[in-house]
Amino acid sequence: MIYGQTIYWLTLLSSCLVLLGTIISFLEKDSPIPANQLLQSVIDGKSVDQIWHGIGLSAAPDMFFFLANPSFGESITMIGIGIGVSSVIPATFFSAYFLKKSRNPVFAVLAVMAGLLTCFAVSGITL
Amino acid sequence: MLDGFRNNRELSILVVATLCCYLFLETQIDGAAFGGQGGFSSIDIIVISFFVSVIIAVIAVIAGVGGGVIFTPLLLAFTSFDTLLIRSTGLVVAMFSGLISTGPLMRKGLADIKLVLLGALPIIVGGMSGSFTAIHLAQQFGEKSDGIIRLLLGLMLLLIAALFIFKSGASDYPVLKKSENFSQRLKLRKTYWESSLSSYVSYRATNVKLSIFLFLLVGFTGGFFGLGGGWAAVPLLNLVMSIPIKVATGTSGVLLALGNAAAIWPYINVGALIGIIAAPWMLGQVIGGLIGASLLTALKASVVRALLITILFGSSLKLVARGIESLTGVEIPVL
Repeated sequence: MIYGQTIYWLTLLSSCLVLLGTIISFLEKDSPIPANQLLQSVIDGKSVDQIWHGIGLSAAPDMFFFLANPSFGESITMIGIGIGVSSVIPATFFSAYFLKKSRNPVFAVLAVMAGLLTCFAVSGITL
Repeated sequence: MLDGFRNNRELSILVVATLCCYLFLETQIDGAAFGGQGGFSSIDIIVISFFVSVIIAVIAVIAGVGGGVIFTPLLLAFTSFDTLLIRSTGLVVAMFSGLISTGPLMRKGLADIKLVLLGALPIIVGGMSGSFTAIHLAQQFGEKSDGIIRLLLGLMLLLIAALFIFKSGASDYPVLKKSENFSQRLKLRKTYWESSLSSYVSYRATNVKLSIFLFLLVGFTGGFFGLGGGWAAVPLLNLVMSIPIKVATGTSGVLLALGNAAAIWPYINVGALIGIIAAPWMLGQVIGGLIGASLLTALKASVVRALLITILFGSSLKLVARGIESLTGVEIPVL
């Protein structure tokens, strides 16, 4: 239950942020990530690198870039998506606790491992 | 259909807010300032994406697959968007209908947390490997990799469509077999309330070790192609592990939401997921997933599966043609 409820509410929060970010993207002026350029570049079939270089960014932005610049529409949208995608992490750790309490240690360990692997993916460390 | 929304006030608010947002964009923002293509402004494309995503989610829920297996081939076949972008958005599509339904499914006992965690680890490992491989391929081979991806995915889709045709006889309540020691030691057995029978149904998981290996493969293809994996997870749980079809479908949604969460981050970390593009697809999945669940009893599953198979075949033909065109330069007029 705790697993499901954690994910449910974080997904709702994520959806609200995505909606807010979308509106701000279309309303903001002089953004370093202008929505019109971004959209037209995607529609024109440009590669990911070409899209971000065309906007004037020296490197493709990762989540840390968006967290460092949270006032832009695209940043709010990506932070929202990030929260939704990451909602499984706290859910798995909560589940691990309750699985251990209900004497399912193997699955508690699996839950912790799943959460840690996802944290590893979030960190952006590559092998 | 309205019952699902009446019982979830917060989701109803989200639906209304989303519709108001897109209505505002269409009526109050000058679409011409944001570019476009073929007579449609970018805003039109964003709004159309949302409604198409809702339809995809409805079809996916009723057919018992993830939205990624419809979304990714459709966009790879019929648009010129970058393939990394489509595949990363495909993982978002595959995830979010599963995410929003996780809570209700677990409350009803239709998602087995032990099966979720058992399958999650191999799917996470496979999914991350698939994502890293996809990114590496794109960085090494550039545009040529797009042709390779389209061709490979087209061929795989033909296999998936064939799987749906020849293995369409899912087992609603697999016969209880003697499970192996591994499954018994892990206590992979459960009883749940089946409302259509007004009785409890028991099941025991079988072929656990084989299934772990298969989940690894499912994760890899899901991460590599941006498909998610629902098309494979449900048959795997039902036909290989002997899990009742409703529990298999519910568990699959929760499992893939967890599994794909790791697979999507390599794409995000190289800037291959663009928020303003992914947003309408994500919102469509959240809302469409609810609608699909509400329509589950009203629509004939066989009709929806026939529609799904048609979409898969059409997309696979177009993908194979575009892949060959891209690699050889020979034009193939298909669809």
